[in-house]
Amino acid sequence: MSVQMIQPKPAPKLRLKGISKEFIAPRTGQRTLAVADFNLDVQPGEFICIVGPSGCGKSTVLNMIAGLEKSTSGSIEMDGKAISAPGAERGVMFQDYALFPWKSVRDNVGFGLRHGTAGAGMAKAEREDRINHFVQLVGLKGAESKYPHQLSGGMRQRVALARLLANGPDVLLMDEPLGALDAQTRLVLQVELLRIWGETGNKDDRKTVIFITHGIDEAVFLADRVVVMSSHPGRVSAVLDVDIPRPRTEEVRLDPRFAELSEEIWSLIRDEAYRAIA
Amino acid sequence: MPATMPKQRPLNAAVLPGGERGAAVPPQAATAPAARYGAGLFLRVWRSRWFIALRSFAIFVGLWALLAAWVASPLQLPSPATVFDAMVGLARKGELLSQTLISASRLGVALLVAAVIAVPLGFAMALSRELNAYLDPIVELLRPISGIAWIPLGLFIFGVGGTLPVFIMTYVAFFPLLLNTIDGVRDIDRKLLAAAKTMGVTRKAQLVHVVVPAALPSVMVGFRIAFASAWAAIIAAELIGSPSGLGFSIEWYRQLLMSPKVFSFIVLIGVVGYLSDLVLRALQRKLTPWAEGLGIDA
Ligand SMILES: Nc1ncnc2c1ncn2[C@@H]1O[C@H](COP(=O)(O)OP(=O)(O)OP(=O)(O)O)[C@@H](O)[C@H]1O
Ligand SMILES: [Mg+2]
Repeated sequence: MSVQMIQPKPAPKLRLKGISKEFIAPRTGQRTLAVADFNLDVQPGEFICIVGPSGCGKSTVLNMIAGLEKSTSGSIEMDGKAISAPGAERGVMFQDYALFPWKSVRDNVGFGLRHGTAGAGMAKAEREDRINHFVQLVGLKGAESKYPHQLSGGMRQRVALARLLANGPDVLLMDEPLGALDAQTRLVLQVELLRIWGETGNKDDRKTVIFITHGIDEAVFLADRVVVMSSHPGRVSAVLDVDIPRPRTEEVRLDPRFAELSEEIWSLIRDEAYRAIA
Repeated sequence: MPATMPKQRPLNAAVLPGGERGAAVPPQAATAPAARYGAGLFLRVWRSRWFIALRSFAIFVGLWALLAAWVASPLQLPSPATVFDAMVGLARKGELLSQTLISASRLGVALLVAAVIAVPLGFAMALSRELNAYLDPIVELLRPISGIAWIPLGLFIFGVGGTLPVFIMTYVAFFPLLLNTIDGVRDIDRKLLAAAKTMGVTRKAQLVHVVVPAALPSVMVGFRIAFASAWAAIIAAELIGSPSGLGFSIEWYRQLLMSPKVFSFIVLIGVVGYLSDLVLRALQRKLTPWAEGLGIDA
């Protein structure tokens, strides 16, 4: 077939074209240019990590993709269609978790399935199974009936992770999702996350992930591509391909290429990181 | 002067136990360190919530007895013992219970009517800028006017009867319910609504599953304040505008110069108010168990 011969690059899952975002304070009218001329194409099933100094606009970019915040200029498309509002196909894990304080762990995890579009056609038993599965996955079995204020920071973060995954979104938008965890749990969940994402399986079954992190090694371990941002205003300063084969295991961290890439990213943000605390 | 002073004290002190501190402060907080010393039964009783409350009541009754001995006028200030005797007599006749039930049912009707109007209206005002623009000035104008100010007008409209106290109490209960509901809805954490939206939750479901529970703790606080204000206002309304109830009984026995019986009803008002607030607090803890953690969480 002729189609195969001229097979084009697959259409991007997400296309961010010349995005900028300016915040205007309601009373004082003070303007903050948080993000300027941000361009990025994300392929279906791609795992993208965004790193950059604090306050460079990472969360702002994520919120715009989620449809929670409107860009001041530029366009954001998903599957070729402009994004105008939030939707269950783009799940968000918020930096401060945004758990419902009046819901138990279990009810938080099941919130989207029970009250949202994702669980609409699902039988009750199937829904409950799904909730069980994800509660167990993040190691919260036994804490299901606790309320968020009774949990530690790391436990809350795991509830937020389970809630995101249980809702089964097509695109996962994650804002420092493992930041509050102890180092050991983080390593375990990194591997787990890659498994859920579908690292070992068929490439076409993978979800598309945008993952914000402060951990350079975390970004290198997880990502297909790492987007490095600079601040004032937030821009893409570099995009690095992580050419470390998958599936990635713990040994990858000893790979010289791993150290090389980490060093490269660090050199890109070092100056700004020092300036930020100077 | 001396005749009215002791009358005010038990009323205010008992109707608003815990003052306006709100629900977030768990009453156990004061007893918590006890556990550290803990084993002795004596200490445990000494530091128990009930004992601490009873100890305060005992001190109060003791002071009252001293003051009564000093005043030495059974008309102006009867002693606790005579009041107790009068109470037993009134209880035997069934008068305490029947008058309490009359007042309490009026209170119940008033709170129900106020809640049915004020809570939905509060949601509507908090969610609609336009409606709020229309109604807010009116609310702010009426709010400082004490419910008691409407008694004379109420007498013209309703005459002497059960309707007047219900009307006054509904009015008094209305504002704390309305304002606390509005606050509760307005203070909702935007992130929670954002989270619901990104899970594909419809606007209607957002209202039911996010806005309503988020506002509930504040509505409950409003309800407790509404109860306390309405219970305080009922006496004035019944004193003047009703042929029955606790307020009426106070005025009735005053005219008969039977101070111990007057005081019996005053004490009863305090006790009923106190116990009801305990019940409301328990209800609050049951309905909004997460509210306790909100202060720490935020
Ligand atoms: N609602 C807002 N109004 C005004 N300014 C805002 C608002 N939200 C974010 N900003 C500003 O935009 C910039 C980017 O913020 P953002 O939260 O996106 O940073 P970030 O990269 O996620 O930082 P961190 O790593 O600390 O989470 C900051 O300078 C911040 O002050
Ligand atoms: Mg952020």
